Amino acid sequence: MQWAIASAAFLASAVEFVEAFTIVLVVGVTINWRSSLVGAFAAAATLALIVGTLGVALVKWVPLNDLRLFVGIILILFGLKWLKKAILRYSGLKALHDEEAIFEETMAEVRAQGGTIAPRIHPFGVALSYKAVLLEGLEVAFIVITFGSSINTAGSNGIGSAAIGAAIAGILVIGAGALIKAPLTKVPENTLKFVVGIMLTSFGTYWAAEGYNYSWPLSDAFIPILAAIFLLASYLLVMVLKQQKRRQLAASKAQVMEEARP
Amino acid sequence: MKTLKAIYNFIVGDMIILVGILIVAIALGLISNIDALAGLRPAIGPVLIVAALVVLSATLYREARGNR
Repeated sequence: MQWAIASAAFLASAVEFVEAFTIVLVVGVTINWRSSLVGAFAAAATLALIVGTLGVALVKWVPLNDLRLFVGIILILFGLKWLKKAILRYSGLKALHDEEAIFEETMAEVRAQGGTIAPRIHPFGVALSYKAVLLEGLEVAFIVITFGSSINTAGSNGIGSAAIGAAIAGILVIGAGALIKAPLTKVPENTLKFVVGIMLTSFGTYWAAEGYNYSWPLSDAFIPILAAIFLLASYLLVMVLKQQKRRQLAASKAQVMEEARP
Repeated sequence: MKTLKAIYNFIVGDMIILVGILIVAIALGLISNIDALAGLRPAIGPVLIVAALVVLSATLYREARGNR
């Protein structure tokens, strides 16, 4: 069991599970649980197939250094995308991701499609649940494959560790959701996304450089140092953007007052 | 085209990040494969860190400008 991979996959997957579960919950409450669960399980089966197929293909046929490079670059792209969103939200340039708003929005969408609570299987409910779980789950599959395939030189079971991390995240999110039976607004999604963005970028940078045959000082122990560098840089970027926003607000306030002056 | 766009949106969804990281990846590929550039190989790690931060700053700068 590789704990670093398992915990990284756990955190990354938890974010996706929260989003997918919100939609499954909406379909369950507004249409019926049967349709919602059929869609979710069908998507889970599709995902299992994808993870199984791609996981084996990646590990067996791709040379380790090329794989590290490919995975590293993809993780950097993924990580920077998440980091960017989280930094924009922290600095106030983008609204915080609101699970409750998503819940209301999806409820309205379901009602607009004529969705009502009915005991039979509703194709729209199945499709909605399937689509949400498949899309969010694909991201989890991606995380499991990329994290799990970037096996260290010991060559142990990376995909197994990543899959365990993702599975625990899924069980915990579903368990937590079942307990509170409401959209998961209590989960600080932006914080989770920020941490995941840092981790993905750090792992990505580490593996991509290894793919170029670069040896990091301190080997694997350099990953926390990378995380600290990206964390510090992100903090500085949030501060700069906040300051810039404050300056913009002050300037537009002064302009309004200037225009209002007789 | 639709599939490509879906893959692009799924993985990155930001042209600055995609192009920036791909340019760096190609440059580092040249450094690690061309013997004349072998002297630069010890800088691959630091270059990758700096490049990731520059790309992140560039895309955030664009977003901040767009918000004005």
